[in-house]
Amino acid sequence: MEAIADYKQLKTSVAAAASEYGEPEWLVERRVAAIDQMATLALPKANRFSIRDWPLTPTDQPLISSSDQSLTADVQMEAEHVQLVQVGSTTVMVNLPTELADQGVILMDLMTAIKKQPELVQQYLMTVIKSDEDRLTSYHEAFLNAGALLYVPKGVTIKQPIEINTVQDSTREQPLVAHVLIIAEDNSHFSVTHHLTTKGDVANVANVLVEIQARADSEVHYSAFDELGANTMAYMNRRATIARNAKVDWAIGMMNDGKTFGDFDSDLVGEGAKSDAKVITVTTKEQNVCINTRVTNRGKKTTGNIVQRGVIMEKSNLIFNGIGHIIHGASGAHAEQENRVLMMSNDAHGDANPILLIDENDVLAGHAASVGQIDEKQMYYLMSRGIDKAQAQRLVIRGFLSTVIGAIPAKPVRDRLTNTIERKLEDGIEL
Amino acid sequence: MATLEVKDLHVEITDDEQQKSREILKGVNLTMNTGEIHAIMGPNGTGKSTLSQTIMGQPAYHVTQGDILLNGESIIEMPVDERARKGLFLGMQYPAEIQGVTNAEFLRAAMNARRADDDQISVMAFLKELDKNLALLNMSESMTERYLNEGFSGGEKKRNEILQLLMIKPSFALLDEIDSGLDIDALQVVSKGVNSMRGDNFGSLIITHYQRLLNYIVPDVVHVMMGGKIVKTGGAELAQMLESEGYAGLRDDLDLDVKLVDED
Repeated sequence: MEAIADYKQLKTSVAAAASEYGEPEWLVERRVAAIDQMATLALPKANRFSIRDWPLTPTDQPLISSSDQSLTADVQMEAEHVQLVQVGSTTVMVNLPTELADQGVILMDLMTAIKKQPELVQQYLMTVIKSDEDRLTSYHEAFLNAGALLYVPKGVTIKQPIEINTVQDSTREQPLVAHVLIIAEDNSHFSVTHHLTTKGDVANVANVLVEIQARADSEVHYSAFDELGANTMAYMNRRATIARNAKVDWAIGMMNDGKTFGDFDSDLVGEGAKSDAKVITVTTKEQNVCINTRVTNRGKKTTGNIVQRGVIMEKSNLIFNGIGHIIHGASGAHAEQENRVLMMSNDAHGDANPILLIDENDVLAGHAASVGQIDEKQMYYLMSRGIDKAQAQRLVIRGFLSTVIGAIPAKPVRDRLTNTIERKLEDGIEL
Repeated sequence: MATLEVKDLHVEITDDEQQKSREILKGVNLTMNTGEIHAIMGPNGTGKSTLSQTIMGQPAYHVTQGDILLNGESIIEMPVDERARKGLFLGMQYPAEIQGVTNAEFLRAAMNARRADDDQISVMAFLKELDKNLALLNMSESMTERYLNEGFSGGEKKRNEILQLLMIKPSFALLDEIDSGLDIDALQVVSKGVNSMRGDNFGSLIITHYQRLLNYIVPDVVHVMMGGKIVKTGGAELAQMLESEGYAGLRDDLDLDVKLVDED
């Protein structure tokens, strides 16, 4: 952790920058208060992993700066998509069909939302993930500089997937502190695909938070394809608060090339709330990755499933922690988890740790975990049909990871995820 | 014409639990040409599956003596995939299930594996061939979009093995108990598939316990294996004889010192 010499000076400069940008007073005050929290809060902790030496809270760069829009040239933008594209703090495209806007759906970049929908943002921002949880959440609120707001009113169903593209501008030194705020009102139904990429090779930090507020009877399907660059050190925190009979499904393809610390949480608050969290990753080179996927059953008859699958190659290190926490009083709760790591190199290191914290008797909970080699029987079968070893391995691994690939609704993103996995496997497999 | 020769083949398997090697094949000799259907019959535990797995190249089986030649070339040092590309196919008793890979995608990959990079099969040609073979095997088109063998019933798996055989068109097909677990209708369908391959460019080695399958796929040559060796070779009538006399009868006729697994 780098020392921050002068918090007073930092508060003054952040407040000045935010005011200059025309931010409302409440936000400026919250930023300043968050800097105070940073000074005292600790870094987030995880089982068998430490980020003590990761410099995740840089403060020397400008709070907000603009980026070259042409950096989003390879993002597929289509007129008929429901889509928001942002590079750094610069919004390149927002496309919300009139019929959705007429129903009250809001899709806008967060900085615009702060000005145009101040009550909504003030009411919800940092309520699912709180700024005083640890040093990285407080850093997030203090240095927030990108993101989006998606609001879906009561009873509205959106058939098309909503696409959010976040491009990190690493053509210069500038942390990406992005926040996606999703509010699903009662009985709304929709799916979101969030794709993160990096342009440029400058070493930078990405601090990305996604908050989902899922109101009663709503259903949100959130899929992510994380593709941040090798020189990006990433902190990713995604969490949903899930109300009565609401459901949130996560399908996360964590394919960052650099160091990554991820916390993916579902908070099952209301009776009958459900979540299904699927996370896959492929780690390569000397990458160091920790993913903590957590489900907390608070309400009665809540159901949470976790599936984490990782392929580790070369000299990479992957820790999967699956955390199932059933709170006293959550009778009839159901929690299942499965964490699996496939080792493709003897120099790689992986752990799959199921952690069950159960404070209630009337529950059903189960877990499975494994760290192992590729299935020889499957390899033999494929090769007995003439398929060579490298291709057979790729097929078996793709099958192992298929649980998330199939869950991404946007086809271009799904195809790109498949290609990215293939590329990582081709580069990383030692025959 | 292609030829497959097995010469004085001795094979061991290592038992992981006991850390001990056990010899299963004790000098097998066999020659077959394309255009011929051979059947291998024999009691349980006599090495029939070991023979087919060793010819295919299953890494758990170790050749300690003898050789296997395909068109005069030794293949015992070749990896499995290379043997397959040279024209061998093994229809397995317990095919693996592979999630996330569709049957159709797998079939195309297998067909393309034996074609040059600049001569990959076109989508149209592939689908045409696939439709023809699905019809022959009474298989529904939806089978091809399902994940490879995943959740298939025993009968579906066997049909799927034969579908692969028809698509890949090997020179030699080793079929390991493709009749086990099949009802009579499925048995007829599977047999029809194998019979449709019969011709100058195809040979098959059919492993079975029972004579029943050989009513549908009539063999040119029948071998009987006992105690890790081929003890008798004859025509289709040999299978009929076994059906009436049983393996014990043949053993006693030949005065062999072999203990049958299922015998007390």
